[in-house]
Amino acid sequence: MTAIDQTYQPPKSGPGATRLAGAGLLVLLAGFAIIGPAVISSDPAAQDFGASLAPIGGDFLLGADHYGRSLLARLAHGARLSFGMAFLTMLAAAIPGVLFGLIAAWRGGWAERGFEFVATTVLALPGLMLVLLLLAFSPGNYGPLFLGLALTLWVEFYRVTKANTKTILSQPHIEAARMLGFGSRYILTHYVFPVIAPMITTLAAFAMATAIIAVSTLSAISVGLQPPTPELGSMIVELLPYFAEAPVHVLLPAALIFLLVLGLQLLAQGERA
Amino acid sequence: MNIQMMNDIAVHDLSIHAKDGPIVMDVSLALGKGRPLTLLGESGSGKSLVAQAIMGNLPAGVHATGGVIFKGVDLLAEAAGERRKRWGRSIGLLPQEPWLALDPTMRVGPQVAEVHRYVKDKTASDSVVAAKQNLAEVSLSAAEALYPFQISGGMGQRAAIAMAHAAGTELLIADEPTKGLDAALRDSVTARLSREVEAGRLLLTITHDVAVARALGGTIGVMLDGRLVEYGPAEALLAEPQHAYTKTLLAAEPSQWGRKTRATPGTTVVTAQGLEKRYGDRVLFSGFDIEVAAGEIVSIVGPSGCGKTTIGNILLGLTKPDAGEVVREGELSPLRFQKLYQDPPAAFAPHQTIRKGLKDLARLHGKDWSGIEASCRRLRLQDVLLDRLPGQVSGGELQRFALLRALLLDPAFLFADEATSRLDPVSQQDVVTFLLELVEETGLAVLLVTHDRDLAEKVSTRLIELEGADGRAA
Repeated sequence: MTAIDQTYQPPKSGPGATRLAGAGLLVLLAGFAIIGPAVISSDPAAQDFGASLAPIGGDFLLGADHYGRSLLARLAHGARLSFGMAFLTMLAAAIPGVLFGLIAAWRGGWAERGFEFVATTVLALPGLMLVLLLLAFSPGNYGPLFLGLALTLWVEFYRVTKANTKTILSQPHIEAARMLGFGSRYILTHYVFPVIAPMITTLAAFAMATAIIAVSTLSAISVGLQPPTPELGSMIVELLPYFAEAPVHVLLPAALIFLLVLGLQLLAQGERA
Repeated sequence: MNIQMMNDIAVHDLSIHAKDGPIVMDVSLALGKGRPLTLLGESGSGKSLVAQAIMGNLPAGVHATGGVIFKGVDLLAEAAGERRKRWGRSIGLLPQEPWLALDPTMRVGPQVAEVHRYVKDKTASDSVVAAKQNLAEVSLSAAEALYPFQISGGMGQRAAIAMAHAAGTELLIADEPTKGLDAALRDSVTARLSREVEAGRLLLTITHDVAVARALGGTIGVMLDGRLVEYGPAEALLAEPQHAYTKTLLAAEPSQWGRKTRATPGTTVVTAQGLEKRYGDRVLFSGFDIEVAAGEIVSIVGPSGCGKTTIGNILLGLTKPDAGEVVREGELSPLRFQKLYQDPPAAFAPHQTIRKGLKDLARLHGKDWSGIEASCRRLRLQDVLLDRLPGQVSGGELQRFALLRALLLDPAFLFADEATSRLDPVSQQDVVTFLLELVEETGLAVLLVTHDRDLAEKVSTRLIELEGADGRAA
């Protein structure tokens, strides 16, 4: 069996394709979210009651909502908001999570016990409750929403980083490297990061997907971002009363959320495999 | 190489092809009842692939041609599903390092009972009774209710044998059954395998240990670079090897080496007095004194689990003793105390090419790359190997790289922790020969920890025997 491990590596086909599909989808959506608001001239908040619930294709490419606002413009702005929020939330969760994980694995002892206690405490609180609690201070603001989500999401990064770093640090090749005179910085950048980086990217994609869903859900139940902000979740709720007249209009923001999350999940799956 | 019809298994013209060409070529061999077959060869010689072709579990992307006739049926012509049905019923495998193959979440007894219950379709209560019987046969009755992590390597090995015995397959394939075991355990494993042969089972063993081949008898096939270079009855082949590689292989056994006389030792490099180490209530050793001088090779021999590696680690400062003290000579930099590891791949970062690792090391200590190139030539390490990952070179080559890496720092003391126990005899001899040369040239002090008494006797200036403190679990 050793002979085979050394000379032959099975081809990687399936996961690569999945990952590529996810990345492609995300590039398209990111293009829409970043370039869209700049290219589309119409203001997402400009109302035109004459064009209320305008159909798809006419004056408005993707139709208009009940206030006659361009859905294309609103979707582009909504996508940018979701993407941006998710990305920031992910960073705010990943950076401290990875950092704490490294410190805990490296130092052990009290540092580890301390972080472990905080992480367990946070996990014991329902994530949604933490977000609602913070939102109560200033409803409809980006700040608390983002902070609340980051506070619940960092634990995953912390746990994965700590567990994997501990395993790596206990291996003989780390002991060998120290005896050969390599310092902690070299060990961290050359031996620890290359191993944990793919896991962290996978987690990051999952965390972004979670953040997108959470922001939309909270806005949909009117505790997240408030109208008239073009947010995908609140757009669904605003359009819901007009479902009978314009069903596709309601489905458009939902479809966009679905595609964003699908892209992130495909990317994460591919990396995991 | 006449293959008679009475053989129960006959392999003829077996070739195994990968994408970029054949990796095993034209192997023909046979084995029958009471005549086990042992394939000898270094890692990468293709012996495991031959076994996998017979078993029917070749990795994806690799295919076999030729014929494997098992009781009149050509196995290679069978569909994958049919071959899988044979596993555990007519063909069984004793895996490499079996304690890794045991289910860590299940107690030993139920794992053996499972074979009776699901492979042989017995009732639950009959299975339990039969499993108890199997475990009693390998004197493991006491371990029935233990989990695999609670038993020693040797016990795990016997549990795996009990399972293989429970399956009662006509053909048993043992893949490196003694890898990483000390001499006493190795002998007990080969004795069990011989008993399986006496019970009328067909046995195919893959090993790089000549002692195993000698003990099992029967027929021996020697493999080199995907070819069967020598094949014949064990006694004849071992007594009068024909092929040059077989001769090298047999001569490379430590018991065949010449005893070399050593120059008088120089100044003391490291001394330790009254060392004691305990794990929980168990005292590993206490009141242990050791002294290693420049140009000297001191060996510690003893069964696994007796604490010999711990002593080396204490001298290196990697482990703290519970009592006693270690004194290093004068102003030696800690960098001049180095270690060779038992499992070479574990001592290298798996995703870093060897060249990158050595380059970074040379830069860190301000050494010249040309010095590394010279050492590579000296240790017969080809340039192409440098661009591979540690998992892609052989254990012997990697251990020589480890030696090279340590030498770069001009070591005063080297702790070789079972550094050759996982290597085939030829690679082992290479590594040890280089080590001896270095000791003579540079006055390096070496602490050799091994379970191979022959090796220790042949190379060391002094030999320290370490007893297992409170008997051994195996």
